[in-house]
Amino acid sequence: MMEAIYLELTAMAPKDLVWYQTFFVKFYRAFLVADRWKLYLRGLEQTLILTVLALVLGIVLGLLVGVIRTAHDQQRPGRRNPILGLLNALCKIYTTVIRGTPMVVQFLIMGMVIFASSRNKTMVGALALGINSGAYVAEIIRGGLMGVDVGQSEAGRSLGLNYMDVMRFIVIPQAFKNILPALGNEFIILFKDTSLISVIGGKELLYFAQAIITLTYDPMMPYLGSAFLYLVICIFLTWLQGKLERRLRQSDRR
Amino acid sequence: MIDVKGLCKSFGDHLVLDHIDQHIAPGEKVVVIGPSGSGKSTFLRCLNLLETPTAGTITFEGQVITDPKVNINLVRRQMGMVFQHFNLFPNMTIRKNITLAPVRAKLMSKEEAEEEAGRLLERVGLPDKADAYPAQLSGGQKQRVAIVRAMAMKPKLMLFDEPTSALDPEMVGEVLDVMKELAREGMTMVVVTHEMGFAREVGSRILFMDGGHILEENEPHAFFANPREERTKLFLSKVL
Repeated sequence: MMEAIYLELTAMAPKDLVWYQTFFVKFYRAFLVADRWKLYLRGLEQTLILTVLALVLGIVLGLLVGVIRTAHDQQRPGRRNPILGLLNALCKIYTTVIRGTPMVVQFLIMGMVIFASSRNKTMVGALALGINSGAYVAEIIRGGLMGVDVGQSEAGRSLGLNYMDVMRFIVIPQAFKNILPALGNEFIILFKDTSLISVIGGKELLYFAQAIITLTYDPMMPYLGSAFLYLVICIFLTWLQGKLERRLRQSDRR
Repeated sequence: MIDVKGLCKSFGDHLVLDHIDQHIAPGEKVVVIGPSGSGKSTFLRCLNLLETPTAGTITFEGQVITDPKVNINLVRRQMGMVFQHFNLFPNMTIRKNITLAPVRAKLMSKEEAEEEAGRLLERVGLPDKADAYPAQLSGGQKQRVAIVRAMAMKPKLMLFDEPTSALDPEMVGEVLDVMKELAREGMTMVVVTHEMGFAREVGSRILFMDGGHILEENEPHAFFANPREERTKLFLSKVL
């Protein structure tokens, strides 16, 4: 039925259509012709896979850098470890460079300079995004670890526990609860930033939307459609974050 | 048991401890008193190297623990410490708080440690709190658990850093009772406190600190009856 209306309307001259008929034609063309809506879903799937890959890389890098930076800053005076000093300097360069340059520039350098010959730009994008996210996650984790009361690690150390045990059993579990809101925020930002991967030709939601634009010459519907999908996922992630925080807070009150 | 020689500690330009010499023998109950800012807590925290001394040496059971090559974790296992603000781990049950260190140090198996925790909690009158979290306990209960946590390592010496200063007045007694019992059993104790009654009753020696020095020391009866220094007299006239 819809198809019949579409064919009838496209047979008419565009200037004879009323506004809602134009809208319908555009909508039909952007989403329904040749099952194009499946392309958006494929794009969304790619976007979600990219988010998870970048997320894992970001957490691993962030945890590593965050713990090294904190360990360095909390050393006892007079007992500075030179290896830790070197690692700390490397970590500082990493966070400074990543946080000090625009993300699009980082994508372009990764995609067009470092991995210029790579054909799988999607994975290059995931790598760049993970490296970027790691720098921000590192600072969030560092803040969380420094924010745990010093008395907690003093109590642990006074019992003869070594630094690693104090971190593992006492400081990190407490820091985790405190940084959850900031971490959740970072992950929602990360999800949206996957769209920037399209600048190096990586395949994600926006890439497929743009592919449809080149077929229909109409940017409105594909862009609005992708915006809607991003919004739906973000609302879901925010809801999930709130639920998790409420659950962790409950254990405080028991 | 502990020998302190020429101990100095400064934070930046501020000299907090100025050449402290002190010997603590096994079984002694040393009570450190003095005005705030006199260096009492810093002195105590230097004994287990929670503060790194700027100069001087500390010898514990014949071992120079201020030597950077010493494994300080092994030394700290033999010195329990109780803090003003309890510093229980809020993310663990009381049982886990007590058993974590002895199990990680491989002093006991998990089962042995839990049994020991149960015994110790019974002794301080908290047998039913093993599965509770610190947030569910009153201040006095938290501090009794903190003492148990330190005792679970079977230390040779216990350090108390103003253990009753953060408590409601009605809860001070229950914590002091536990400490008195510990003293009766012969534990070597170094206690920084403002509880003059406790100092008089339990202390075997009182140290009065002011301005980074140990100004005066004596056994409690003589100390409270006939303070020698003017500064001591002034302090005692205000707190007694």
